Amino acid sequence: MPKRIRSKIARGSADLAILSLLAEKPLYGFEIARQICERTGGALKFTLASLYPLLYEMEKRGWVEAHWQANAAGRDRRYYRLTQTGRRQLAPLREEWRSFFHALDALAGVSHA
Amino acid sequence: MLDWKKLVRKRLSTQDLPHGTRDDIVAELAIHLDETYEHALSKGLTRGAAIKIALQEVGDWRVLATEIDSARCKEGPMNHRTKSFWLPVLITLLGASVSLEATQFAGLQPQLVWVGNMGVTFYWPWLASLPIFGAAGAYLTRRAAGQTSMRLAACLSPALVMLVAMFLLLPWVLAGFHLFRLMLFGLGLINWVGIPAAALLLGALPFLRGSRLTVEMKQ
Repeated sequence: MPKRIRSKIARGSADLAILSLLAEKPLYGFEIARQICERTGGALKFTLASLYPLLYEMEKRGWVEAHWQANAAGRDRRYYRLTQTGRRQLAPLREEWRSFFHALDALAGVSHA
Repeated sequence: MLDWKKLVRKRLSTQDLPHGTRDDIVAELAIHLDETYEHALSKGLTRGAAIKIALQEVGDWRVLATEIDSARCKEGPMNHRTKSFWLPVLITLLGASVSLEATQFAGLQPQLVWVGNMGVTFYWPWLASLPIFGAAGAYLTRRAAGQTSMRLAACLSPALVMLVAMFLLLPWVLAGFHLFRLMLFGLGLINWVGIPAAALLLGALPFLRGSRLTVEMKQ
């Protein structure tokens, strides 16, 4: 199991993690946090306190849109969907992180593979 | 069933949020806490332990309220594009223009260089000052997490304005296809666009490197 990544690094990568996930399909907050944790093997973990301010910030920037939707059990959840603006942010963000990992790999032998 | 909504409403002391927005936030956070609680219960934890795990999601309510306020409050007087592009453009343009005015006001004469039978004027003191404004434009854009293309556009803005002005003269240049006019236009491009652009770029170079990511991490 990967070691949990410290908060500063996790926070830096948060935009990419959230946008990548929402590029697949609209999700609500708890599910975003759950999927990030599950798909990174627990290395990246978002709590309520770290997740929602980021989502609200992204909403303000127009990267995501939110709407209330009830699930099959009639429970309301606020789903976040990636907008075109958000989608445009994703490619350069991925490229920046790729360059960052290459640079780190060259410097410290930290492979992103 | 626990009333998470009541708890969030009581603990979350957000400021300046519109009534509907605050209700949405309270409802959303309450749902998250409830799902965390339910998830913990489904793993076999006791009710008390599940509540504790749910509350650990929040940490400090005051910090959360501050961060939500900061994230949700409306943009200040300047939005991201203004900060990362228009402001650096304005400063670079203003700096370059004031510098040119100051050069002329101080009586510093331009050097006249003859190319064939046409004279080209070089304001060396002004050209020498341009790297500073190019650097300022690129630096301010980078500081506001602007992309490299935005940094480039901001630092080159005085030359770009001149380029647009020059192209407004294009119909006059092309009318009749006079060689003299074409040469004058070409020299004008070099004199007022090419050389200033090179000077601006020279100052901006150190700030064109380094990704937006690096800048954000430094902050």
